[in-house]
Amino acid sequence: MSINKLAYYPGCPSDGTAVDQDMSTKAVFEKLGVELVEVEDWNCCGAAEVEDPRVVYALNARNLAIAEKEDLDIVTPCSICYYNLERSNKALKADEALCTKLKGIDSSLDYGGKIKTKHVLDVFVNDIGMDEISSKLEKKVNVKVAPYYGCYIGRPPETAFDDPDNPVLMDKLIELIGGEIVPNFNYMKTVCCGGPLMMTRGDIAFDMARKILDVAKNAGADCISLACPLCGMMLDGKQADIEKALGITIGMPVVYITQLLGLALGIEPNKLGLNKNAVDTKEILGKVV
Amino acid sequence: MPIKTWELDPNFKNEIMGEAGGERLASCFQCSTCTLGCPITEIVPSYNPRKIIQMSLLGMRKEVLSNPDLWVCLICQTCTARCPQDVRIADVLSAIRRIAEREEEAGNLKIDSHRPLFDKAFQHQLEKYGRLYDIGLAKEYYPKKEGSFIKGMKAMMKDYKDFGMRMFKKGKMGPKAMLAPKVKGRAVIKKIFKEMGEE
Repeated sequence: MSINKLAYYPGCPSDGTAVDQDMSTKAVFEKLGVELVEVEDWNCCGAAEVEDPRVVYALNARNLAIAEKEDLDIVTPCSICYYNLERSNKALKADEALCTKLKGIDSSLDYGGKIKTKHVLDVFVNDIGMDEISSKLEKKVNVKVAPYYGCYIGRPPETAFDDPDNPVLMDKLIELIGGEIVPNFNYMKTVCCGGPLMMTRGDIAFDMARKILDVAKNAGADCISLACPLCGMMLDGKQADIEKALGITIGMPVVYITQLLGLALGIEPNKLGLNKNAVDTKEILGKVV
Repeated sequence: MPIKTWELDPNFKNEIMGEAGGERLASCFQCSTCTLGCPITEIVPSYNPRKIIQMSLLGMRKEVLSNPDLWVCLICQTCTARCPQDVRIADVLSAIRRIAEREEEAGNLKIDSHRPLFDKAFQHQLEKYGRLYDIGLAKEYYPKKEGSFIKGMKAMMKDYKDFGMRMFKKGKMGPKAMLAPKVKGRAVIKKIFKEMGEE
């Protein structure tokens, strides 16, 4: 294993609706022997709501510069944060005029283009590696999983680190820990959960999330696994609202991949926030042997 | 709908291509891959990114900028990933939305969507605190969307009462979430919006 320390960018939902993702990410990295140093005084990446790319680049120049001072690459568990950090990193490395302009706005935006930005999935599979993870496994997570990747892992091409139509990094981890990938879910792996429209067109967002939940259920999944807090909010947090609004019953547990991986590494379920998922996860815990 | 050539704005495509993200508009050869793979088109059949691009290239400025379908794009990037001409459709749509917002602010257009209000409210939280503050966002967005504070709070309760209780019970929405985050460097964030933003 080549890395032992990374800058950690938690993202805005990390102390609220996605605290379970934050807890499990920290616990898993600790168990894997990688120290996470939180990007000090980090600011929001711009999410999907700041549409002007120049503002996104400037917001993230500050985050990147803070990590660069520590001489650490950044890792984040959120797909949207990853997309914004990585595209900013690319733009800033390529555009000297932009960097000069930002430096003129404030010295804290002075980023030298020396670090990398990564998503946790990429770090687990490609940096830490399957052999290293495998050597630390303590338990078998014997569950049938629908691996849901969402948008920014395989798209857009310049920031993607997995296949756009059939990503596999999460599948690999699930198989490694003794889980089974359900058949017939592949075509839903990267279809958007509807999250960005939740506040303005909830009807469309609910319809989109429902499709994913339905396909996972029909495929016989014990749970859906995720790598993004907005997907978590839609599929887990809002699942009861979707059931109520559409007059249906789903009852599909939804967990972060870091929670599943943590179980396999022998970490206490409560330390992984598994008592905080909106849909009960007890049945999954019963399948950890 | 007949297109009246004398009402077209031949400069509209240049206006879009002058926006960050809009540069690749003119590469489109109208294959429709964007639209065929769009998860929104499946739910909202009138949503047709290929058509929005063609209308933009033709100069149908008014029709494009006032099209409510502009605001149902999820920015999921499926179109961008599949486009054989690298048009970067999601970014082009975003550039068009920003032009529409400026036109609305200038009083030339009424946008038929709450999304600009939401995006603005979100950005205001960032400017103020440096991070997202959910409660501040809801308190700004709902009253604006509903037209009054009371109506806004009622609508917010309707949408979020159950969700809030659920999150509270799971320890995801405690007293900490009630307080606004305060990034120490928030003065810099304010400067970023002032110097780089369009407002």
